[in-house]
Amino acid sequence: MPAKHLEASVRYPPGERAGAAVIELRGEIDGFSQEALDAAYAEAESRDPDIILLNFSEVDYINSTGIALIVGLLAKARASRRRLLACGLSDHYVEIFNITRLSDFMSLFPDEESALTKSAGA
Amino acid sequence: MAGQPPQPKENLQKNPRDAAYWAQGVKALKISEVPEGAVNLNVEGRRVVGPLQGFGRMWQKTYRIPLEGSGATPAEVVKVWKERFPEFWMPGNRFLAPKGGLAPGAVALINSDVPGSRWFSTGVMVLYSDEESFTYMTPEGHPFSGWITFSSYADDEGTTVAQAQLIIRANDPLYELMMPVGLHRIEDRTWQHTLRSLASYFGTGGKVESRVTCLDPRRQWSQAGNIRYNALIWSMIYAVLAPMRPRRERKPTN
Repeated sequence: MPAKHLEASVRYPPGERAGAAVIELRGEIDGFSQEALDAAYAEAESRDPDIILLNFSEVDYINSTGIALIVGLLAKARASRRRLLACGLSDHYVEIFNITRLSDFMSLFPDEESALTKSAGA
Repeated sequence: MAGQPPQPKENLQKNPRDAAYWAQGVKALKISEVPEGAVNLNVEGRRVVGPLQGFGRMWQKTYRIPLEGSGATPAEVVKVWKERFPEFWMPGNRFLAPKGGLAPGAVALINSDVPGSRWFSTGVMVLYSDEESFTYMTPEGHPFSGWITFSSYADDEGTTVAQAQLIIRANDPLYELMMPVGLHRIEDRTWQHTLRSLASYFGTGGKVESRVTCLDPRRQWSQAGNIRYNALIWSMIYAVLAPMRPRRERKPTN
């Protein structure tokens, strides 16, 4: 099966969820994903949101290099004092985020709705 | 992976195709076997730590070497790298892989000669391993908190390239102090030597390209207490107390 390169797009939820940017990820996150991830993150940051949410619900593969790229985003978010959240991870990748201890620094939510609702008052 | 039929999304959720590549969750590291003459210190019972759990500035270090003319595919390079990992290391260091090899979840001991501590002992856990890459994660007390990924790929010209990429930060304030006065240099030399040795195995030479980026310039003072696990300090204590231990426990490491 050919690799499905990562596609990333940015949305800004309106209304009460203003102040958040959602990066929707589709495909596979591996060593070839850096450009797409960095570009989406830069676009999300351009409106100076408090929260950036990574939506993984359409991601079906992440390797260790891909996890390292997410650490890079987390480092950028922490440096600019933004909260980086994740949602839509399968049980398997929730476990990977626990093993790699990414979840120590990144709140994980089952879906976008719960991520934006629960993080709004946090 | 090539050759695999597409799976319905439900199956992917239940049986992710990369599940076998990742280590299973472990609360504390366990050494399955300690080779004769090796020192098992600072690994057993420790937790693994990633680049987010350390103290110092976060660095991304990438070292790569083109294996021009070798004819080896990325998968062949990684297979050899895993199987012969200890042979490619710097002299004065012992990488003691378990008999089962560098499979996901395997824990390897590292015994090194470090000035002031004859038996500097630490280790790594194999976090991830597939056909074209493998990743180590370090334990508490290791000089660096982070991941080291070894991989191979074909560049735009079709040349197979071997790469080591680290995302690390010094684990505690003592190691952070040591970074500019030698730890950075040791790390650079270690991986440059490894890549040159790997290239030599495949009958090629070439220059190792190195790129270093600071991903996070801040120090995490909340992690300063990591120093209680410092492997260098515990290795020194171990060395100082060596004369008091029964002779059979005082085997030299080489």
